[in-house]
Amino acid sequence: MLALQLLLNGIVTGCALGVVAVSFALVYATTKIFHVAHAGVYTLGGYVAWSLAVRGVPDPLALVLAMAVCTALGALIQHQLYGRLERRGATHLGILIASLGALAVIQNLIAAVYSANILQFPSAWASRTFGFGGLRLSAAQIATLVISLIAVAAVLWFARATILGKRIRAVASNPFLAEITRLEPRTVHVYVVAIASAVVCLPGVLVPFDLGLQPYGGITPLLTATIAMIAGGIGSLGGAFVLSVVIVVLQNLSLLVMPGEWSIGVTFFIFVIFMLFRPRGLFANA
Amino acid sequence: MDFFASYVVLAEIYVLLALSTNLLVGVVGIFSVSQAAVFGVGAYIVSDFLLTDTMGFLPATAIAIVACVVLNILTTLPSLRVAGDYFVVTSFGIQLLATAGFTNWTEGTGGANGLPGIPPAELFGFQLATTLQYLELSTIAAVLGCLCFWLVMRAPFGRLLRAIREDELAVAAAGKGVLHAKVSAAALAGAYAGVAGGLYATFMSFIDPSSFDLDASILLLSMVVLGGMRTLSGSIIGPFLLLALPQVLTLVALPTSVAAAFRQLIYGVLLIAFMLFRPQGLAGERL
Repeated sequence: MLALQLLLNGIVTGCALGVVAVSFALVYATTKIFHVAHAGVYTLGGYVAWSLAVRGVPDPLALVLAMAVCTALGALIQHQLYGRLERRGATHLGILIASLGALAVIQNLIAAVYSANILQFPSAWASRTFGFGGLRLSAAQIATLVISLIAVAAVLWFARATILGKRIRAVASNPFLAEITRLEPRTVHVYVVAIASAVVCLPGVLVPFDLGLQPYGGITPLLTATIAMIAGGIGSLGGAFVLSVVIVVLQNLSLLVMPGEWSIGVTFFIFVIFMLFRPRGLFANA
Repeated sequence: MDFFASYVVLAEIYVLLALSTNLLVGVVGIFSVSQAAVFGVGAYIVSDFLLTDTMGFLPATAIAIVACVVLNILTTLPSLRVAGDYFVVTSFGIQLLATAGFTNWTEGTGGANGLPGIPPAELFGFQLATTLQYLELSTIAAVLGCLCFWLVMRAPFGRLLRAIREDELAVAAAGKGVLHAKVSAAALAGAYAGVAGGLYATFMSFIDPSSFDLDASILLLSMVVLGGMRTLSGSIIGPFLLLALPQVLTLVALPTSVAAAFRQLIYGVLLIAFMLFRPQGLAGERL
């Protein structure tokens, strides 16, 4: 029974993490930037929603407003930081360092304003639990599961079916050709990071309903998400999502045999296995 | 005077760490946010040997150096074998794993409470009790470290490392051993971290995981970026300037809970600002 419950929790958290992985994969496939500051955007979303929620704003509205803030932040980072650096011909390493700097700025601004302690959402609905034949899920977990699945489906549909989605995939597959056919890669990059930031805000707000907020809590999910992205195959959004669920389920099941502090070790072990046997990932595009 | 001396000792220890980071990030161009983890392993190994009184300072440091060399090679191995950004993941992963280890493996590391009462270093039967005596030791270590870095940079090996950063494929095509050069650079960087770990543990006489976490790695990276990548002078300027920053910040009355976050915030701003406006740092090579 415990194993089943852990499996279920793993699927819920895995879906939330899958959203992080999909949004990160979207940015990485298009801009080729290892957007470490994405972890900061994820954390900021939760804090914005929390500040609104404690001031009596209804939770759905707080979520939407937090998404708006994250979108703006993402666009700002791409437009003012990465875009500028690229125009100046900065190296890949330079952009990576700047991204790490942006992460440090966001996290520590949050820590300075809200203190480094864990914050809990004041909402009563989130902790109500429902039983399914011995298994229990909280309302927050159900919301996370449903919204994450919808979000991933929406992103996949968006990338496949809309004009902007096709433009993004065109820029991702050949930036040079996109440039000469006036698809304006730079503008597309700003759109992509903005959209990804809005999407990553969903788990950024929903997961803390269950587990609470911490200023430095974004790095581990992002690291797990990037591992899922690599294991799933860079360029495959669906692969990133599936592998996120698999990794988090394995992490949760590992709780049966070892204490939770070492779950990062389990994730990392999966990564090393993939690096050794399947470095291009499971669902890699050619 | 004592206060100033301990600042210089710390800065000199961080010069060794900055050289270690500079060698990887600046010279070879391998992104690394796990140098603090390697540093921590060195510090904990020396502390454990000294606390259990198994051996003296020098053999303990020697073992720490070996461990750090091996660990650093293992850490950078993915960047040697696979291209792409995979090594960013390994680097973050090793750092988080190390922090988890330092915090949770209570028998070896004292957990979050740290290890207090580490005895001072003893060299050839001569105990280094005061800060000024430590200043001599750390100065010798820093000067030797700088000399070593300078010699490596002048040698053909240093040119090979810089060439790898510019164009790895061309270097391989010219018949040079890229893998071998990278492993050697990683080993040297690990050795620096090991020495720094031993000095740090015995000088502070107390270590806890907070000195070796991701923030510490970001501090090291900031030092290298601020001072200037690829140059010896950059790795000396960076630590001295950034370690003075907390002293300057004490002039601004901040509550202690905010002070740490504020300091890290400044490091982040420095990273961004230097990348945008002066990517070569204060005294670095033109990019």
